[in-house]
Amino acid sequence: MLRTSQDTAHFEIDPTRLDLAREFRHAPKGPHSPELRRVIHRMRWSGAGGRWCVVTVEPGVRWMLARLPDERFGEIRTYPETTFTSLNDAEWHVFRIRWEALTGNALPVEMD
Amino acid sequence: MKDSTKVIGYASPWSVAPGEDVQFHLSSEVLKSASARIVRIRCADADPRGPGIKVYHQPSPLDGEIPLASYPIHTGSFGEIPDAKLLTGLQDFSIGAWIWPTILTGGDQVVFARKDAATGKGWRLFINSDGCLSFAVSDEAGSSTITASQPVLIREWLFVHASFSATEGTITLSAESLERDGGRAQHVSLSARSTVSPVLNTATPLTFAAELTGKSAPYSRTGHHFNGKIDRPRLYGQALNGAEMRSIVDAVAPDLSDPSLIGAWDFSRDISSDLISDRSKNGLHGSVRRTPMRAATGANWTGTRTNWTAAPEEYGAIHFHDDDIDDAAWPEAQSWKVPDGIRSGFYTLELTADHDGVKTESHIPFFVRPPRGEKTADILVIAPTATYISYANNHSRIDQIHFEVMADGLIVLSQDDVYAHKHRELGASFYDTHKDYSGVCYSSARRPILNQRPGGYTFNYVNDTHLLDWLEEEGFAYDVITDEDLDRGGADLLKPYRVVLTMTHPEYTSKNMLDGLQTYQASGGRHMYLGGNGFYWRIAFHPTISGLIEMRRGITGLRSWEAEAGEECLSFTGEPSGLWRSSGRAPQRLTGVGFSAQVFDRGASYRRLPDSYLPRAAFVMNGLAEDEVIGNFGLRAGGAAALEIDRADRDLGTAPQAMILATADNTGAGGIPAPEELPVLYRGFSGEESNISRADIVLTPTADGGAVFSVGSIAWCCALSHKGYDNNVARITKNVLSRFLDPAPI
Ligand SMILES: [Fe+2]
Repeated sequence: MLRTSQDTAHFEIDPTRLDLAREFRHAPKGPHSPELRRVIHRMRWSGAGGRWCVVTVEPGVRWMLARLPDERFGEIRTYPETTFTSLNDAEWHVFRIRWEALTGNALPVEMD
Repeated sequence: MKDSTKVIGYASPWSVAPGEDVQFHLSSEVLKSASARIVRIRCADADPRGPGIKVYHQPSPLDGEIPLASYPIHTGSFGEIPDAKLLTGLQDFSIGAWIWPTILTGGDQVVFARKDAATGKGWRLFINSDGCLSFAVSDEAGSSTITASQPVLIREWLFVHASFSATEGTITLSAESLERDGGRAQHVSLSARSTVSPVLNTATPLTFAAELTGKSAPYSRTGHHFNGKIDRPRLYGQALNGAEMRSIVDAVAPDLSDPSLIGAWDFSRDISSDLISDRSKNGLHGSVRRTPMRAATGANWTGTRTNWTAAPEEYGAIHFHDDDIDDAAWPEAQSWKVPDGIRSGFYTLELTADHDGVKTESHIPFFVRPPRGEKTADILVIAPTATYISYANNHSRIDQIHFEVMADGLIVLSQDDVYAHKHRELGASFYDTHKDYSGVCYSSARRPILNQRPGGYTFNYVNDTHLLDWLEEEGFAYDVITDEDLDRGGADLLKPYRVVLTMTHPEYTSKNMLDGLQTYQASGGRHMYLGGNGFYWRIAFHPTISGLIEMRRGITGLRSWEAEAGEECLSFTGEPSGLWRSSGRAPQRLTGVGFSAQVFDRGASYRRLPDSYLPRAAFVMNGLAEDEVIGNFGLRAGGAAALEIDRADRDLGTAPQAMILATADNTGAGGIPAPEELPVLYRGFSGEESNISRADIVLTPTADGGAVFSVGSIAWCCALSHKGYDNNVARITKNVLSRFLDPAPI
């Protein structure tokens, strides 16, 4: 035993702070400002909008989008149509989904 | 996308010497054959930024197409008492035990049964698909069942009892919880007329934690496995009531003068084996299968002593799981006699095929050691196979919510990880928990392990091959032995070598391994520890079964689960498990450094410290500028100090003469210390504000001219190939290795 649960992370994301989304887009691997760290923590811990991940298609070259199960032992779904040639692009793709799930607002298209 | 799972398997044993045979156990659900060849692995990392895959074909009689077949794996531990004369024709009887159920699965879970699967005749005490305790007797004509109205509580002790009276034609079922407060009180007392007789005149074993299916291979012999603990099961030759049966169960030492006592199983005996013994005078001994967890606390555990060797009478329970596995038991598909004169190293059986237009390439790893009693090089590499087995089919990134936060980035799975998730029958790692959330504490190499071989999962095996690649690039000849070789052979195996190298992450260590390394170091040996988070958890190899190890996580350390209180000692040996630090041998005592932190976002670089300019240590940094930054590059997180890192600490055992040559203490916000590094809670513990999260490069002279050199980082070896191997990580490694090979005392 010793379990962690999805609803532990509770930082409230301010939907107006598009500057933080921009900061993430610019440097998904950081270093990040303390405000952005809180946003990322909430997103990654809670998996809000989906427990997204990637599966390697070609090591170091290409990855496909995948989704971990919400229920233990459930199916891992893969999305072979959605692939990335950089992990930073994959991070951004997932960030977008989670931002919308947590704030109710989609990030502007031009941020891509 | 290349496939790697259309054919899978395992080699046994993992470590072979020239002249010995290695067996390959293979299975494919879809392929009828595959092309086979033996390869020696130099680099198993496909990352295009690195050295790339480098394997060498080793010609063998296996070259060519080999046939394949499909085999299942059956999981679930259980206990079995062979049929005995006394059981046949048993008329009135009672059964009783303490149980601690751990999960309601929605299916039947049999606690105790004697049932002839062919005819359906017999009896079973079980938890039904609604989670309710139930007792059923049956014959060819039908069955009579009584069932409690409430589901059992999980993780609470419950005394259970059932009886059958042939004379009166009744069955009874009763239960009583150990704890009575806060909604924990459960009380069952039921009886009913039985229209059927379960009296069995055929040879039928008794089973604990499962029932027999009557089937044989390829089908499972057992089904309806129980999850949880069973303590002090008893079988009595009269129909007793619950209170009467309870006094018989509660007695640790049964009344041997009672002629009706048929069986009184004491699971606290033979804990280190697969035997279960009957304390009654009938000697109805049996065995357990598929490694249920032994050395489990019973309902009578007082907490006064926490090691089963000190209070065996309180450890009369076994914890069974329906997903336990120790040996896939696949037949041998191929075998290879390792020829004389072959180079020692990392090897695999490589299997390739085309299926539906997809190319498959699957590797079955094994290790060739030098001929027994000989060495073929001055350098010995210890393949950390205990760690490979500990990580076997690690599901933690999928199962554990916190993983993406811990890893500081999106989870990157390999195809092997996805396959292993879908095929949980392949078993799990020490990082995982069973279906019932109890920790996985046994792990075996006798099953397909998909993530510790050439492939997409880079931790351990793939990272380690970066060291082999560099040794070969530089023309250093080396021998390879495995952790298990060291465990069984001790310091004598190391003694002939000028230098012993331990690899990127030798995290799991047995006492024999640690003693062997320490003895080697203290008798003039030279040890280079080129990794991080090494010598951390205390494990044991099974005394006789190859490839089987045990570990219990304590209530400290970077742990993905905790053992239950009182269950932190190893059933194989009686030793405490948990961190070596808790056994008075923190890694700093062996290598000068010990686990301090994880750094997954951005790797750090080292800067030189004053000790690096000491004449005694000058050889290490030879060729580096006075203020040269070390390792600000690398394939893992962009730095040589990354993933898991270790620091020096005099309080924890870094030696008085140890020289701390360099430190990587700029680990930033992603440098997060291990739990045991924090005595109290405070803000500012990350590498941004605190240097506790750091990697140190340490050189320690040892007795008789020996020495230990440590870099304290998993990522170090993954930086060796940077810029065509021309970089200061490679330079330092070469400086030290060359000096260590020189017999002049250090
Ligand atoms: Fe580890």
